Amino acid sequence: MGDAAILVTISVEQVTALLHQEAWFLDHKRWGNWLALYDKDAVYWAPALVGDEGWTDDPDNDVSLMYMDRAGLEARIFRIEGGDSYATDPLPHTAHLVTNVLIHDQTDDLTEVSATWMVHSYTRVRSATVRGGLYDYLLRDTPDGLKIVRKKIYIHDDRIVGPVDIYNI
Amino acid sequence: MLSPREMIDDRPDDNVFRVNRAAFTDAATFDREISEIFDRCWLYIGHASQVPDHGDYIATRLGFHPVFVIRGSDGEVQCFYDACSHRGSKLTRRTSGNARTMTCRYHGWCFNADGDCTLVRGGDEAYRSEDLERMGTNLRPIEQFGEYKGFLFGCLDADAPSLEDFLGGALPFIDLMADQAPDEMEVLRGESRYIMEANWKLQTENSTDGYHVATVHRNFATTVGYRETLATDGGGEMAKTEASRILSLDKIGSGGYDVGNGHMINWADRGNPEAGPSWAQRGRLLQKYPEGKVRWMLERGRTVTVFPNLLLNDVASTCIRVWRPLGVGLTEIETWCIAPKGEAPESRRARIRKYEDFFFPASLAVPDDVRAMEGAHTGSEALNNGWNDLALGYKTLVDGADAAAQELGVVPLNSNPGREVETPFFAFWREWATRLSS
Ligand code: FES
Ligand SMILES: [Fe+2]
Repeated sequence: MGDAAILVTISVEQVTALLHQEAWFLDHKRWGNWLALYDKDAVYWAPALVGDEGWTDDPDNDVSLMYMDRAGLEARIFRIEGGDSYATDPLPHTAHLVTNVLIHDQTDDLTEVSATWMVHSYTRVRSATVRGGLYDYLLRDTPDGLKIVRKKIYIHDDRIVGPVDIYNI
Repeated sequence: MLSPREMIDDRPDDNVFRVNRAAFTDAATFDREISEIFDRCWLYIGHASQVPDHGDYIATRLGFHPVFVIRGSDGEVQCFYDACSHRGSKLTRRTSGNARTMTCRYHGWCFNADGDCTLVRGGDEAYRSEDLERMGTNLRPIEQFGEYKGFLFGCLDADAPSLEDFLGGALPFIDLMADQAPDEMEVLRGESRYIMEANWKLQTENSTDGYHVATVHRNFATTVGYRETLATDGGGEMAKTEASRILSLDKIGSGGYDVGNGHMINWADRGNPEAGPSWAQRGRLLQKYPEGKVRWMLERGRTVTVFPNLLLNDVASTCIRVWRPLGVGLTEIETWCIAPKGEAPESRRARIRKYEDFFFPASLAVPDDVRAMEGAHTGSEALNNGWNDLALGYKTLVDGADAAAQELGVVPLNSNPGREVETPFFAFWREWATRLSS
């Protein structure tokens, strides 16, 4: 191979398969498999609302609902699996619907993707809650397959009922 | 049903303080709380930094009354009932925003940011001027509005004592947060409101309850501790947390105070004060304030619970929390991160990350608190005539100041050496019973 940039072509089908795989791992509580979809330098970001229409956009100066590196995600799994979190015991049954997958840009090994989500959660404690919003992904093509480098989750709900955690957004 | 007085079994000579659980679940008592507490107390509205410019407003509620604060043309902030003077339509369109002219969407009357009516649409033809005078077209300010070091409060009782009199013994502790910045504090962008399916007073108790920290937040402590072992990016000294302290209670100084008017203080020495986001201000603070006050600011974590529904929490990060009753078993909670203006980027970043760790419904702590309080509410419905006996730490309660309070130069009504005590609650419940019995 020469040193010219190789145009990597990732298809919508490949991307959709990854997003559906992530949803399946979460809904089946396969935390380790889920985490393995994230690359070492991954960022997981849920911005907070600003007024009625805006979102925080500077994680170093604004408060986000969540802003985590991969260690943060690993810690979330630790929290869930520890069985010692009142909010996480019992865990809800969740059903992620992930749709409207679009590819916006591809440069080198990176692909920018957007999608729409809705999660139905159910526990006997709280009954059903439904939340929804949008996802922005940055994916990297690696020798181990397509990995998530960055996931931005817009949670459209305010006046939040029950916990918000990796398993129900 | 018991009267509010009867719900509090307060017998100091016998070392007894008990609260009947109906206080959390009785609907008639809830209605009285709205009229006797929320319609009469000074309540927190927001922070002056959230409305910096002419026309900036925040819409909220005091009790069940919609109100809004807005900065006027002269730079002064005022608070008005959020209702058009024509036929009462709510005026604000957003939870916050900027409007130098508020146009009522129902029939188009206009108001400026000073509350003056600037347009009665079709008014000249339809009204005599004496009609308009009788009606009063300007917006109605709430009965009392006050600011203390940037914190904005409103009170719907024209006869209530002044804001500073009401805050009283809590003022030196509020100062510990307000005075941390060389040039003022600011509330950061990023909002969260969440719902608790429990009575609002469970949040008041929880805010000053040191006893639950080692249990409900054990998961927070072990999780954050685990994350620190991963430390992929090195994180830096300031990324370190107070997590370990939660699990090593007996090695640290701590205490609880009743500072009067229903306000409660709970504090504990920081295990690792240099990791606090405000530690960088220490030199400047020492030039300005006595050493004891600076020690309190930087080396002691504090919860300052202001009657009836405000918490200023300065433990891992700096948080303002308000809980607003929606019903006897339903409460809306809102929190904000407050920080020194112009602080160094690494301090700001660490403060924000620590805030997200603990204070939002997506955090590692608040969801556990919410479940614990909801469990307490459900359980309170279970027992007929059940009592919460708050004797924890009663035997060590002393009148007046402990050594730490003396360092700050304050004299609480009483002090208790230890964070795992319930005696500060007495302050809240005595004020509660007094107000409901008047
Ligand atoms: S209610 Fe506002 S103009 Fe009529
Ligand atoms: Fe707590």
